[in-house]
Amino acid sequence: MTRSHRITADVLASLLANTQRSILMMLGVAVGVAVLSAVIVISQGTEERIMGLVARHGLDMLMVRAGGEVQVFAPTADRGLTVLLEGDARAIEAEIPNVTMVSVVQNQRDINVVYEDRSVTTRAFGVEPDWMEIRRRDMAEGEFVSETDMAAMSRVVTLGHKVAQALFPEGGAVGRTVRVANDPYVVKGVFTEMGVNAGGDDWDDRIVVPFTTSSRRLFNRPYLEQLVIRTADARQMANTAARVRELLRVRHSIAAGEEDDFFVREPEDVENAALDTSSTLSLLSLAIATVALVAGGLVIMNVMLSAVAQRRHEIGLRRAMGARASDIQRQFLLESLLVALAGGLVGVVAGISVASGLAAAQMVDGRVTWVPFVGALAACTVIGLVFGVYPARRAAAVEPATSLRQQAV
Amino acid sequence: MIEAEGLTRSYRKGAVVVEALKGVTFGIRQGEFVAIMGRSGSGKSTLLNILGLLDRPDRGRYRLQGVDLSCAGDDEASAARNRTIGFVFQQFHLLERVSALRNVMLPLLYSEEDADDGAARAERALQTVELSHRAQHVPSELSGGEQQRVAIARALINEPALILADEPTGNLDAQSSAGILDILRRLAEAGRTIVLVTHDREVAARADRLLVLEDGRITADDTLPSNPPRPAGVA
Repeated sequence: MTRSHRITADVLASLLANTQRSILMMLGVAVGVAVLSAVIVISQGTEERIMGLVARHGLDMLMVRAGGEVQVFAPTADRGLTVLLEGDARAIEAEIPNVTMVSVVQNQRDINVVYEDRSVTTRAFGVEPDWMEIRRRDMAEGEFVSETDMAAMSRVVTLGHKVAQALFPEGGAVGRTVRVANDPYVVKGVFTEMGVNAGGDDWDDRIVVPFTTSSRRLFNRPYLEQLVIRTADARQMANTAARVRELLRVRHSIAAGEEDDFFVREPEDVENAALDTSSTLSLLSLAIATVALVAGGLVIMNVMLSAVAQRRHEIGLRRAMGARASDIQRQFLLESLLVALAGGLVGVVAGISVASGLAAAQMVDGRVTWVPFVGALAACTVIGLVFGVYPARRAAAVEPATSLRQQAV
Repeated sequence: MIEAEGLTRSYRKGAVVVEALKGVTFGIRQGEFVAIMGRSGSGKSTLLNILGLLDRPDRGRYRLQGVDLSCAGDDEASAARNRTIGFVFQQFHLLERVSALRNVMLPLLYSEEDADDGAARAERALQTVELSHRAQHVPSELSGGEQQRVAIARALINEPALILADEPTGNLDAQSSAGILDILRRLAEAGRTIVLVTHDREVAARADRLLVLEDGRITADDTLPSNPPRPAGVA
């Protein structure tokens, strides 16, 4: 063992021999770290729930519809609006930060779909493959539109749950050929049952074809009804919506004072408020945890300072035996660091247990990841060093000659 | 071994400046057993601190084994304390909750060399003070005399050339004191240099040479009649 190894080993032995003092010091940090890890577990749980909410309700999505705000209640396709083009989508994708994806959508009502002696009239959508991801739809069977279908303008179709039920009551729709507006299309897949959404749209009463197929064959027009925009951070939705509006006004050459010829729809404000609240809340708990940690650090510092006073003899003795002032400083710093880390370990386990317990009792959200462990490790290292430095310096400054002569305290 | 030349040292005690040493000059040869006597306040503790490199003189020169350490920095002084000097204190200063053996090994902690045989060396040192059978006991389980013997073993573990004993029998009864002095005596016979500070004339009488300090100056430097150690085991 080298000299510094021996000194480190001695610090460990001394901590183990003086359990009472070590535990007292640990306690402060343990409480602080427990609060910190509980906060992390709960806020990560909350964030997970919020993200779930975002995904389920499409809170991270913006929708752009052709036609101004006043006309939104009339179906755009039926009004033959010719303002929104694929170029708009690509421009938004390229120029606006916080936009991760833009998908173009065409749709038209009253499309006839026939299989043998059964027929339905439904609404047809022409979309890109990433629409699936943006709208978070799932397939019950078969596959969704692919890039290959796009490139080939394939006559393939995916059916909504109700449409499939109506045409294929016995099932087995995938692979069959149906007639869509009199042209033959191969059924590629069937969507899972989605139900009617809040806006009254029945998502099961739909068919979906590749965008190229709809724009060149089925509808045979370049104009879009909709852009679907997915954002990276749902909390910046309002800002992103404003930039989309700005960009489209420029692209559509709309002069100041004129009305928009499109409508940007943001997700419900109520749910956005939930996002804001959650971030405020986790900020608040983080502040509380920080206060608890600093308090823990002060406990360490206090116990260390009184230990330095109590251990003046020991310090003097070690100096007489050949310890340098720097060895003494290192000894005390190492003690506070080790104690802080041990306290952190206890705290992280306690905090996670409490938070998981509360989560299990449905009182809070909870999600355990590696984050609290890393957070605790970092916090403890910083605390152990920051609050250990001053006592360690005091210890190193103890005059060996005088400390050895003083009567025991 | 030791060359002290015109050592002075003064302290500030509140508003008063106390001159503890007012120019002390003497030499100690290798293997000498020297007692420094003086009343409380005579400067003997200050002198011992300077000899032990725990304090530095304001002026004057202090050479230990030919090396001038009057202005040594902390690292150099610490290394010299570890290598060359063994301390024995009035209050023993053993670490509580630590076995006698591990107490003896304490100086090895700060040694520059990597000793793998630390435990064996500590056992040998305990043997020298006839305490092998108490190696695993903690200080509170030992008598005062035994504790001081552990402290002497600790002072010996790095085989220092110089042993500084500060009132080593001050806290001991007569019988234990005699045992401790016999051990020091034997170490001196074996060639170690020993400097013992005391205010007790009988204790001082066990040394070969007596320096008397009064008011920060050496006022007497006498060679004492030889006094061999009593046979081992009487203590």
